[in-house]
Amino acid sequence: MSTEDTLLYLDGVSVSFDGFRALNSLSLVIEPGEMRAIIGPNGAGKTTMMDVITGKTRPDTGTILFEGRTDLTSLREPAIANLGIGRKFQRPTVFEMHTVWDNLELSLKAPRRPLKTLTYSATREDRARIEEILDITRLSPRRDRPAGSLSHGEKQWLEIGMLLAQDPKLLLVDEPVAGMTDAETEQTAHLLKDIAGKHSVIVVEHDMVFVRELGVKVTVLHEGSVLAEGSLDTVSANKQVIDVYLGR
Amino acid sequence: MHRAFCWLLAAFLALAAPASFAADLAPLVRGLGAGSYAETEKAIAGLAETGDPAVVPVIEALQAGDLHVRKADGAVVVAKRAGNGYALTDPLTGAALGEADRNAVEKIRINNALRRTISATLGALTLMSPDAGTRRQAAEAVFKSRDANALDALNTALAKETDERVRRAMTQARASVLLAGEAPDADKIAAVAVLQERGDQDARALLNGAANTGSDAVKDAAMKAIASVEQRLALWGAAQNLWYGLSLGSVLLLAAIGLAVTFGVMGVINMAHGEMVMIGAYATFLVQEAFRQWAPGLFDFSILVALPVAFLVSGAVGVAIERSVIRWLYGRPLETLLATWGLSLALQQAVRSIFGPTNREVGAPSWMSGAFELGGLTITYGRLWIVVFAFLVFGALLVALRKTWFGLSIRAVTQNRSMANAMGIRTARVDALTFGLGSGIAGLAGVALSQIDNVSPNLGQGYIIDSFMVVVFGGVGNLWGTLVGALALGGVNKFLEPYAGAVLGKILVLIFIILFIQRRPRGLFALKGRAVEA
Amino acid sequence: MLTRFFLMGLDKKAGVLLTVLAVLAVAVPVMALGTAPDSPWHISTHTVALLGKYLCFALLALSLDLVWGFVGILSLGHAAFFTLGGYAMGMYLMRQIGSRGMYGNADLPDFMVFLNWTELPWYWHGFDQFWFAAIMVMLVPGLLAFAFGWFAFRSRVTGVYLSIITQALTFALMLAFFRNDMGFGGNNGLTDFKEILGFDIQAASTRVGLFVATVVALAAGYILASAVVASKLGKVLIAVRDAESRVRFLGYETDRYKLFAWTLSACMAGVAGALYVPQVGIINPSEFSPASSIEAVIWVAVGGRGTLAGPVLGAVLVNFGKSYFTAALPEFWLFALGGLFVLVTLFLPKGILGLAAQLRDRLPARATVTAKPADQKGV
Ligand SMILES: Nc1ncnc2c1ncn2[C@@H]1O[C@H](COP(=O)(O)OP(=O)(O)O)[C@@H](O)[C@H]1O
Ligand SMILES: [Mg+2]
Repeated sequence: MSTEDTLLYLDGVSVSFDGFRALNSLSLVIEPGEMRAIIGPNGAGKTTMMDVITGKTRPDTGTILFEGRTDLTSLREPAIANLGIGRKFQRPTVFEMHTVWDNLELSLKAPRRPLKTLTYSATREDRARIEEILDITRLSPRRDRPAGSLSHGEKQWLEIGMLLAQDPKLLLVDEPVAGMTDAETEQTAHLLKDIAGKHSVIVVEHDMVFVRELGVKVTVLHEGSVLAEGSLDTVSANKQVIDVYLGR
Repeated sequence: MHRAFCWLLAAFLALAAPASFAADLAPLVRGLGAGSYAETEKAIAGLAETGDPAVVPVIEALQAGDLHVRKADGAVVVAKRAGNGYALTDPLTGAALGEADRNAVEKIRINNALRRTISATLGALTLMSPDAGTRRQAAEAVFKSRDANALDALNTALAKETDERVRRAMTQARASVLLAGEAPDADKIAAVAVLQERGDQDARALLNGAANTGSDAVKDAAMKAIASVEQRLALWGAAQNLWYGLSLGSVLLLAAIGLAVTFGVMGVINMAHGEMVMIGAYATFLVQEAFRQWAPGLFDFSILVALPVAFLVSGAVGVAIERSVIRWLYGRPLETLLATWGLSLALQQAVRSIFGPTNREVGAPSWMSGAFELGGLTITYGRLWIVVFAFLVFGALLVALRKTWFGLSIRAVTQNRSMANAMGIRTARVDALTFGLGSGIAGLAGVALSQIDNVSPNLGQGYIIDSFMVVVFGGVGNLWGTLVGALALGGVNKFLEPYAGAVLGKILVLIFIILFIQRRPRGLFALKGRAVEA
Repeated sequence: MLTRFFLMGLDKKAGVLLTVLAVLAVAVPVMALGTAPDSPWHISTHTVALLGKYLCFALLALSLDLVWGFVGILSLGHAAFFTLGGYAMGMYLMRQIGSRGMYGNADLPDFMVFLNWTELPWYWHGFDQFWFAAIMVMLVPGLLAFAFGWFAFRSRVTGVYLSIITQALTFALMLAFFRNDMGFGGNNGLTDFKEILGFDIQAASTRVGLFVATVVALAAGYILASAVVASKLGKVLIAVRDAESRVRFLGYETDRYKLFAWTLSACMAGVAGALYVPQVGIINPSEFSPASSIEAVIWVAVGGRGTLAGPVLGAVLVNFGKSYFTAALPEFWLFALGGLFVLVTLFLPKGILGLAAQLRDRLPARATVTAKPADQKGV
């Protein structure tokens, strides 16, 4: 497969902070429409990987290509987001002073330039789309509440809703079920699987039950590089992976 | 016992000797009034031969036309007009001899030939003085006057001179006389070399003269010498600028170190920092008042006493501010900024109400006044001490933060508050003390600044922006950055001053920092990592 | 379309404020010009100018609230934009003096003649035309803000750092304007104005006219600011204030949004300064002092940041207090102002309007949260 056909292509990406290597020559390929789970112990560099993809952190070396042609390493965050890469953060970050509705409206796919937003008024389709997302994320009753007043789980869902509103080609989802009840976890897994039909998704998660629920290809990250790749069962049987998770 | 007696005897003899010496002068002085010019000249020569400095005022009086003969007894006296008559004094001892009628005294006349003799004698006498300092002054005087009459005396004195520094001064004086007057080219060219070695503004002025008037060979030599002198002067000028920069830098450093603690280490924006400096300066004023009142003799030590007092007073005010206001605002830097600005207004007004709006007089101890020369540099003791003091404070703080338990607690609390708390460090107390430390250091800065700035309620205002610039420029949370920032800004400021003027220089520095912060928002020595981004 | 844009920001608060302004715009002229000097209803031209001054400060506070309250940029240098606007107007007024100056020079203002200048500096050209000065009033502060903001926001200088460099900016300008050879009158600034648009600047009717102009400018500024804040752009600004990096990951170039608000705010401050100068009769470099900028911040804080109406109220209240105390108890004023800074930050973080809202919410009868107007959902 040539790089042209990939959605995301990471090759030899390294990042260090004050001498500490958070990513060590990381390589990873995501195909269009694919959903990938990334697991790894704390500090493995999973969040840092998302940081370099979205432009928050500049890699020291390495290539990152989006859709086989756009070099992401030289772009700023908004430009990368506008290419169609959306991100949900590990710690849910929503706009607490804004209502749930406004949070979604801000995320909704629409022109992002100041003068356009100054004169923007929501069209019928826009409102319908927001209603739809409210339904999917079960936040309809909360639509006029400030997002700051939501529970932790609701904020996670609102953030996923914001991702949906953005309608990106690639979704990066960092630990979406942290702090959720089992029932919520299961619902989230369903939600992500629904999304995966139309978009590519990278999910970072610790929760093995959740990963099993997703049932997709798994990449194990360790000390900033890929340790193993394959189905959950294959990687679980991998000697090195067992060492990393249990042996220390 | 016996030895001690010998010493005593020797000392006594030494004291007695000048008295007998002075007695020998009296007849010679009397000879000045003998009548004819020739006799006066002989008497002058006799006086000159004694080589006694006591003779100098007598001959000076003669030169000034104050020397008279009292007709009644032929005594030579100094007569100065007083009302209708003259007030008489003894030329040697200066003792008053009462008054005299105008007709009772007769002026000792001098002609041109005598005048020359007199000035040569005077120059020779001081050039021969047993005191090396006097000899050097005399030589410097000749250097300035370029008086050709002093040449012979100079030559004689030079032949006898043993003190190296005086010799140099005399050689230069001789060169100045030669160059200004008539002399063979070879001598003039040698003189040019001597002046080139001296290499200051005076030398350049003399050389300029020679370059305009002398023969071609002299002109040539003078031109070359001027170029070399100018280069040397430029070098010293640069050195002087460097010194000014260092001096301003250390003032900035003093003002900013405290801020580096409160802002850099604790992350608290204290806009009342300048007022802590101001309070330190007023504490100095009060301590000095106390000394003036009760122990004027010990005034030289007042500054040393003021240091701990200012540290404690400013520190206490700092602790009070932290406990009453700032601790409620941790994590809200912009609010802290506003609240402390309010405090600074109130503190200024409080000091204005208590001490009045005008400047207060803070004196300098004797060991901080005056200046000395170092090559072509003039360095005032006050500035020198401030530079030394700034570095001492910096070093002390560095040690305190690195090596003491208190420093360890400060770093623990700033790095991980909850962990420090869990380990039994009383974080609230550490906060208060850290803030007190920063404020106390500001108080110390106040003591130093009271020596070079007006002690008024507005004292702190002048430093607050500069201090913030230094800390931000150097990189927040890094004491070394503060040091480098202060010295760099001080240096750049003084470097720009000669070209742009003081105000424009300052504006340029501000613009530079504004641009710099936009390039490197975290300063020269930035901390990296997640903690910073939060 | 445009009216809809301007009306969408207007809520109950705005209604009250605009009504008060409308009443002032009618009542003050009537009382100042239409009553006999000994009538109890009469107000002197001095009072009119004082009120006008307060409203200029209110416009400055409003502009500051736009950036501090809604974008989270605590500017400690807004006095710079205010004063630049003031100087632009002052230059026009200087040119209007013409040959009536002390030296009777038709082209050069007195201070230039005094400095032995023979020619008008290039940057003084055009200021004899009102329209030109009126453009400059907004253009100069706007351009400065744009340039400054472009650098600062691109390099992501935020928070306290930004505050400190805005302070350095106004400080540098102050030092610069103190210099005689800058050509703005040095220490003394610009003063001794004679007339504006042909009207005698001292006349009661001119004063009233200036007052009305200020009321109109404040009302217009308020409507504009409300509209901006209520638009989607305003929501982006608030989002930037609360979580800037998150906004970037949504694809918004936050720098441009900040730059927009910042420049708009600077233009508003410039207009405030321009209206201020003819009413107080002088503009000098001390207006640039960092202290005046920070004082403006406290007006906003007292009234309630992020409320638009609050800062207007705060500016008027604090300045009324200042006028009163500096006359009655001059020593006390700085204590009061200093105390205000401390008390407001400690106990009144949302200002007077915020306090009012809190009290209202506490009342049990009204405890139900007023739902937001249904304009965003189905209509
Ligand atoms: N901005 C940063 N500064 C310093 N260290 C960082 C930074 N970002 C990440 N790290 C370090 O990089 C390593 C990987 O972190 P992260 O990507 O968050 O791991 P994960 O998400 O897999 O738990 C950690 O040791 C973390 O401390
Ligand atoms: Mg992580």
